[in-house]
Amino acid sequence: MQPAVTMKGVTKHFGSTRAVNDVSFEIHRGRVHALMGENGAGKSTLMKILAGVHRPDAGEITISGRTVAFADPREALAAGVSTVFQELSLLPNLSIAENMFLGKELIGRFGIPNRSEMGRRTAQALSELGMSLDPNTLVSELSIAERQFVEIAHGIKADAQVFILDEPTAALNAADVEILNTQIAKLKAAGKAIIYISHRMDEIFAICDDVTVMKDGTHVATQPLSELSPDGLIALMVGRELSDLFPARAKNTGPVLLSCQALRLSQDSDAISFELRAGEILGLAGLEGQGQSEIVRSLIGQFPAIRGRVAVADQSIGLPLPTEGGVRFMQNLRVGFVPEDRKEEGLLLGAPIAENIGIALQAARPGFRPLARFRDAVKRVMAEMNVKAESSIMPVGALSGGNQQKVLLGRYLAADMDILIIEEPTRGVDIGAKAEIYRLLRALANEGKAIITLSRETVELIGLCDRLLVIHDQRIAAEMAGDDATEHAILNAALTQ
Amino acid sequence: MTYTHIPSPPNKSWGRWLGRNSRQGNWWAPLLIILITVVILLVTTDDFATSQNASNLLAQAMPLIIVAIGQMIVVVLAGMDLSVGSVMSLTTAILALDGSPVVLILLVILAAASIGLVNGFAIVRLNVHPIIATLSMQFIVLGIAQLLRPVAGGFVPDIVVTVVTGSVLGIPAAVFWAVFVVALGWKLLHGSRFGLHLFAIGGGAASGQTDTAHNFGLKDHRNIVLAYVLSALFAALAGVFIAGRIASGDPGVGSQFALDSITAVAIGGTQLSGGVGGLHGTILGAVLMSLLANGMNLAGLSAFLQGAIKGAILLLVVGLQSRKKMGL
Repeated sequence: MQPAVTMKGVTKHFGSTRAVNDVSFEIHRGRVHALMGENGAGKSTLMKILAGVHRPDAGEITISGRTVAFADPREALAAGVSTVFQELSLLPNLSIAENMFLGKELIGRFGIPNRSEMGRRTAQALSELGMSLDPNTLVSELSIAERQFVEIAHGIKADAQVFILDEPTAALNAADVEILNTQIAKLKAAGKAIIYISHRMDEIFAICDDVTVMKDGTHVATQPLSELSPDGLIALMVGRELSDLFPARAKNTGPVLLSCQALRLSQDSDAISFELRAGEILGLAGLEGQGQSEIVRSLIGQFPAIRGRVAVADQSIGLPLPTEGGVRFMQNLRVGFVPEDRKEEGLLLGAPIAENIGIALQAARPGFRPLARFRDAVKRVMAEMNVKAESSIMPVGALSGGNQQKVLLGRYLAADMDILIIEEPTRGVDIGAKAEIYRLLRALANEGKAIITLSRETVELIGLCDRLLVIHDQRIAAEMAGDDATEHAILNAALTQ
Repeated sequence: MTYTHIPSPPNKSWGRWLGRNSRQGNWWAPLLIILITVVILLVTTDDFATSQNASNLLAQAMPLIIVAIGQMIVVVLAGMDLSVGSVMSLTTAILALDGSPVVLILLVILAAASIGLVNGFAIVRLNVHPIIATLSMQFIVLGIAQLLRPVAGGFVPDIVVTVVTGSVLGIPAAVFWAVFVVALGWKLLHGSRFGLHLFAIGGGAASGQTDTAHNFGLKDHRNIVLAYVLSALFAALAGVFIAGRIASGDPGVGSQFALDSITAVAIGGTQLSGGVGGLHGTILGAVLMSLLANGMNLAGLSAFLQGAIKGAILLLVVGLQSRKKMGL
């Protein structure tokens, strides 16, 4: 059978860097094709070429036997390539129907857009996905999952043959991931080709049939996933095994730095108490959405707990903390909070690296006497964190996900925090940068700092943490040492009361 | 927090109708204040309910309604046009020149279209911020108007005066003007592909997705330039209306209209960040401002106090809209 997409010698330069270098492979109908590689390996660039955002400098792309060269994404869609990008590409102030028909509106009498017909066709495309959204709903009212499904419906409506899903699950919860997987299975059964980009190993093995691995812009391998193990796949991507990612655990821990007493997240939930010692990395594990995030956010005033106390730095503070100023208050007690959503909550994407790191130093200063010189501190942190950037005045938004995360962590390194509260330490970060971040966190702990973290990736928590608290239904279901923890044991502890 | 799944809210038709979650913006606040003002004026003054005052009111409101519709076209794009007042002044100055009415009208259209083109190109090609581009244009055009006619005077062709102040079958011409500009404004903003694309481009600007509209294949630059041309043409139309009313040229006649039109647009619920707004809101905003001026004149309030009240109303109404974010 003819492949859905054939790439031959595709090459793309940005200035002097070769983002994609002589890549050739085939994608087949009725299969889910994973595209793997570290951040900066060229996956996104390659997909943007296929989606018509970028034009290749050399090489040839054939779709269903026809050689194509797209001027813009609309042409790509017309030729049957539909893309769900990481950065969402729907306009929030337009309705679902208006977004779907944008640029190709159906025009009725007197040149007036035919809204009812557009709405009808949109509802039809949505119903093929089993969704019953009102086509007149504004996109701003949809959840992130619903927006992604709308984009997929967009592709279905355009009768796309190739669907590119670029980290579709990065912002989804488990239930929505399940729905997405069902939709992917439907597309697959309908004979469409699906290209799937993700950093999550379990997803890749659960839903993909083939995999192409890229590294530094070049093609490493394309093979059926059934021939590979997770360790083997990682080895292809980075040339090392999974166990090498995690540094050795703490040998001994110091005094208690933070203790949380009788914290209640809701009126009728059990009290939560735990201690955090110097030199240790404590993980909050368990199924998603069981209260892990609420626990850590209670500690810095970003979740209104019912009651509880937190003792830190010889002070005992009653909860809930005020929402405004809670983060700063705890920061002055040398407790840093690294939020999950670094783009929305963590970083000032348009501001230079130096400002993003320096902001934590400024937070401790009086309002009208900011620190004038912090270049040395920034330089030191960037070196310690191994941030790869041309200079410290580059905007953070221009960095890769891994480097952004290092800048965010570096901010608290610069401010010399004793305790770090980290949600999702490696969200949207490639394997190479993950390993680096694990090493850095362990190095911080070894210096006598303490870290609380939570993650959707249980493997990460097991590998990284010294001690795990399994959270279920807003209480601590079990406590286990990192050495003894397995995915099975954690799930077991969470689900058997 | 992305850990907990928040289902999207059900369609609250009331909230949507009131503009809380729609692209129309909140327009009920000006409507409410209009109703209150009308009631107060009906109760407290004898002159308000006369047909003479009603037609007077419409004629007074008309220039602002016309300019505000043009202003809204660029505000939906997250732009702003500060040159509209000068375009009105220039229009009256041109119409008071010696020459045949047809030539003068063509000259007005040509001047307005060129001004809009230069505004648009400065914004799109030179990447000048809309406020700066149109502020510069405001000075340039005012200067030209003052060169043509340093002080108020001259005579506007009779045909222009008739078209503005005459009547057909007892219906004042201003009513026909109102029907025409509202129909034109609705067509441009809500009844055409162009209008939808304006909202798309403005929504992209407001949500930081500046490439999105372009990626959908929209001709964003062309639409932006066209929007500024339309804004200038609406301003010129308002200038024609005023010239017909005062029957002479006046370089100072437009001085209030740049800020007044932005005020009317904002009171009507259009978001200055782009992508949200409705024509009915803009018209209500313009009517409210004219009604207040009319009522305060009837009540004999000082002109200085009137300005202060206008400002307070603007702050109150936009404050009441209490939108968290665009479209959210």
